[in-house]
Amino acid sequence: MREAVKGVLYVERYRQDIIPRLDSFVRDCSECVEDNNQLAFSVQGDAEIFGRICEIAKSHHRIQNFIHGNGFCSRKTQSASTHRTTGLYMQALSEGISEVLQSYKKTLVEVENLVIGNHNYTLAFIYSYVEKYHGLFNTLNRIITTIRERRLNGCQILSLIHQYILNGNERVHQAIVIIFSCINEVFVNQLVTWLLYGELKDPYKEFFVFHSQDDASDTFVSSPSTTNTCDKSLASTLQDTALDCGFMLKPNMIPYFVPLSLAQEILFIGKTVILFGFDPKVKKSSNFLAQRSLTPLQRCGIDSRRFTIWEEKEAEFHEKLQKLKKPEFFEVLNLRGVVREIKECVTKHLWTVAVEEAQLIHELKLMKYFYLLGRGELFLELLRLTSHMLDKPTTRTSTRDMNHAFQLAARAVFLSNSADIEKFSFELPYVKPNISANSSIEDDNNSTVADGWSSIILKYDFKWPLHLLFTPEVLARYNDMFRLLLRIKKTQHDLHALWKTYKQSSSFAMCQLHNKLMFLMDNLQHYMQADVLETNFSRLMDDVNKTNDFEKLKKYHATFLADVLSQSFLTVTSSADSDHSGEMTESLNNPVFCNIMELLKLCHSFCSMSEFVTDKESEDYYIRGYTDRYNKLVKQLMQLLVSLRDQPCGVYLARLLMRLDYNRWHSREAQLTQSVTNMLRY
Amino acid sequence: MPSEMITLQLGQCGNQIGFEFWKQLCIEHGISPEGILEEFASAGSDRKDVFFYQADDDHYIPRAVLLDLEPRVIHTIMNSPYAKLYNPENVYLSKHGGGAGNNWASGYAQGEKLNEEVFDIINREADGSDNLEGFVLCHSIAGGTGSGMGSYILEHLSDRFPKKLVQTYSVFPNLDEISDVVVQPYNSLLTLKRLTESADCVMVLDNTALNRIASDRLHIQNPSFAQINTLVSTIMSASTATLRYPSYMNNDLISLVAPLIPTPRLHFLMTGYTPLTADHELNTAPKIRKTTVLDVMQRLLQPKNMMVSLSPDRTNQHCYISILNIIQGEVDPSQVHKSLQRIRERKLASFIPWGPASIQVALSRRSPYVHASHKVSGLLLANHTNMSSLFDRCVQQYDKLRKREAFLEVFRKEPMFKESLEEFDESRAVVDGLVREYQAAATPDYVHWNPESSQI
Repeated sequence: MREAVKGVLYVERYRQDIIPRLDSFVRDCSECVEDNNQLAFSVQGDAEIFGRICEIAKSHHRIQNFIHGNGFCSRKTQSASTHRTTGLYMQALSEGISEVLQSYKKTLVEVENLVIGNHNYTLAFIYSYVEKYHGLFNTLNRIITTIRERRLNGCQILSLIHQYILNGNERVHQAIVIIFSCINEVFVNQLVTWLLYGELKDPYKEFFVFHSQDDASDTFVSSPSTTNTCDKSLASTLQDTALDCGFMLKPNMIPYFVPLSLAQEILFIGKTVILFGFDPKVKKSSNFLAQRSLTPLQRCGIDSRRFTIWEEKEAEFHEKLQKLKKPEFFEVLNLRGVVREIKECVTKHLWTVAVEEAQLIHELKLMKYFYLLGRGELFLELLRLTSHMLDKPTTRTSTRDMNHAFQLAARAVFLSNSADIEKFSFELPYVKPNISANSSIEDDNNSTVADGWSSIILKYDFKWPLHLLFTPEVLARYNDMFRLLLRIKKTQHDLHALWKTYKQSSSFAMCQLHNKLMFLMDNLQHYMQADVLETNFSRLMDDVNKTNDFEKLKKYHATFLADVLSQSFLTVTSSADSDHSGEMTESLNNPVFCNIMELLKLCHSFCSMSEFVTDKESEDYYIRGYTDRYNKLVKQLMQLLVSLRDQPCGVYLARLLMRLDYNRWHSREAQLTQSVTNMLRY
Repeated sequence: MPSEMITLQLGQCGNQIGFEFWKQLCIEHGISPEGILEEFASAGSDRKDVFFYQADDDHYIPRAVLLDLEPRVIHTIMNSPYAKLYNPENVYLSKHGGGAGNNWASGYAQGEKLNEEVFDIINREADGSDNLEGFVLCHSIAGGTGSGMGSYILEHLSDRFPKKLVQTYSVFPNLDEISDVVVQPYNSLLTLKRLTESADCVMVLDNTALNRIASDRLHIQNPSFAQINTLVSTIMSASTATLRYPSYMNNDLISLVAPLIPTPRLHFLMTGYTPLTADHELNTAPKIRKTTVLDVMQRLLQPKNMMVSLSPDRTNQHCYISILNIIQGEVDPSQVHKSLQRIRERKLASFIPWGPASIQVALSRRSPYVHASHKVSGLLLANHTNMSSLFDRCVQQYDKLRKREAFLEVFRKEPMFKESLEEFDESRAVVDGLVREYQAAATPDYVHWNPESSQI
């Protein structure tokens, strides 16, 4: 009996105890358990109920600990000492959880009041109040453990919480929704500043877009050497590298409910908006601002520009994005809808800026006129003035001389007073020949010292924002084309210059060889200019005129350049047998291109023959040698057609060969009659 | 100013076609008859500098030298609205004004006599250009001044300007009608020798074919000189289109000529043009409704569109040495390849068996100031072995006259023929050699051709 009374007393004591216990964040579990052992329960089973209450209390305790560690109030104390910043999302999570816990705390207060008022309430009574939080606490704890274990932060948390939204337990579901909306608010805020203003309000690097300042060796940056793979990827590489200002996607941060394509669109919009802040016209005027800002991003012009992007739509978009904060509205479908709308607006604006303000169409024509030698008469004049210079290795003054000659040539064809000519300039990189002690190496060096033809670079100073289109990568490819075309033009010009001389010569063999080489060069040039460049360029112009979307325009341009390069045999053929793509050679190893280069070399030595051949005998000897070489190379070119017939470049080789073998003379000479002539019907 | 061309107009015919040519160029470049650039043409990117230069008051002056021994045609020009266009210093009329009497020998002798004054003008004109590419000589081979004086100038141009190209637009006489110039076969033969030996490129303008085209294709009953000359100026302007407009290729004369002429002596080119419209037809529905690249290129290969009358090639032994098509207008560039392929597959043109040959296609702009009734028009420049038949006819006509020893006394009057008529025999040998070389060029054995003996 006494025992029983004691037990009740204990329970009394406990009852009064338990409320503060639950309430005042059970500090030590062991203490609790110790207590538990000492307790004697009046009612059988109270012990178990007590245990359950303790469980809940412990769960709550853990949650409280988490909140304490990551919540807003903790930030000040932590920021000084720890490196591991908790981040905005973690804070939002804590805020959300503590909001959810409010109802629990309210319940406790209620129970406490009841218990204090009436000591007869049993443990089971208390338990009945707190039991409903069991499931919620479990879920929350599971979330917390997951976050801890996987070290999740930022958008990953958003993603995780989103996964818990669908819960059968109504209470849990609602709680998670509350928590989610807290975190979502952070997310949407970041999204809004990024989408509308191109600013990354992301001090803890939690957003799925990030700005890499120095680690350029990221996998997302394509290195220039990977361009010469196959045609398909060439087009996409030329397109992809267009817009890089250091902002990238962090793939592991992208919430699972946001598809990669959507994430890329979001990235694109922000980058574009930033880009409008880079208008050089604005930059000059506010240069002092740029110097003051410490970030490599000079966001000086942003204010003036960003309003012109959105015009009156800014408020509309802002409102639409703010609506996403409501959890019931936040759905991928809606997000995508808004993003699409914004993107459309951005690309249209970009198109207006590029096509109307920067006169893109005109600039594209300029690219053709200069890089693709569309202004033949200008380059003819330039060759006349500079070919002696380009034959030799470059010197320190080459660049200046070249540009001077360019001005002269422009004046000669009455182009000098057009503003367009000033956008172009040449550079002949001067490589100091390294003098080594070893003579044999020196000899090697001398033979490979680049002459002007292989090193000349045409530079182009285009209007903002056309660097989106004419990236360094794209300009490098244009320069590849330029060098090839210039070389062909030069060779043709040299051969033509000899025409009058050989007209007077009596050697028929000489005349014939000269003819064949001239025929080859003329047709090669006709092929390049008419079949490749004119055809593709007119297609590009058609496409460009049809669209008013900058992204599409960019795609068309990339396709154009890729087509031109592959049809000029300036790409590395992706041979099917060598699948290991890791092996990438720098030099162009397209067999057709190599063959053409050999033919160009042959023409070159033929043209300079008069310099070293004096007597008739040696002339005959050289002519025989050159003729043999010519026959061999042309035959080789035809045989290449057989081996390349299944590849896209084979089709274009067939086109070239159709011109060269128009009267079937070459195939007759090469004794390949049937096979080659039949294959020319592409 | 790169690749300038100086035009020399000689004699009655030469001045007439030259006049038409400049008229056409002025219209195409938006230059008024007084040489002033029209308002609408001020922004043009065309290359007027190749054929014109600018005087101090900015008006455009043709790089043309007008020469004649009789005043009639030049007076007509100087009384036309275009009188102020030319540089008066470049117009040379012989003082006595008696002409050459349709006598080659007289023209040649007067050329020799006036050589200093004529070459003074040419030299001055050549000095006025930065980078002279060559000369264009307009003349007829049948008369006296164009053929005789033209021959003299041809011979000496290559001496004085050995590195410059000499292109001629040579009008061949109409063999279908009786000419009032009875010594025409003599004149032609003597001129042909110079064209063979001293010119780099001869554009053959055959009056026989031009008249035939005017009546057959344009339905003009009795074509006038003016109508024929319009045809000629169309050809001349089209063949210089790539020089006069910025383009990616064929920016200088050599790049047009060199691929067409693989061997030194076979440099006589024939031309073809399509579609042709006469003025009186402009109002009615045009005959040729659809013009595509393939269409134009196919038409250009039809003999009826050729501006040279060649004997029908019955044995089918003749072939093209080379072809260049200059296509003007709104052209889809991808059509060029397809057209070339179709022509190749259908074997519409046969080529020489001794070397590579093809149809080259140059796309050129058209003047924005001239209304064109067709979307696409094309000019064909071709080197064809059947050109031999034209020369063969000349030799035959010469032989007929020579056998009768007819009209030789007018030649004997001149110092060149006083001693002997060797010059005739020499010229005949040269032209005969040319005929044989053209015939040989149609065979695979041409690679063994020996120019000295004119034999394989």
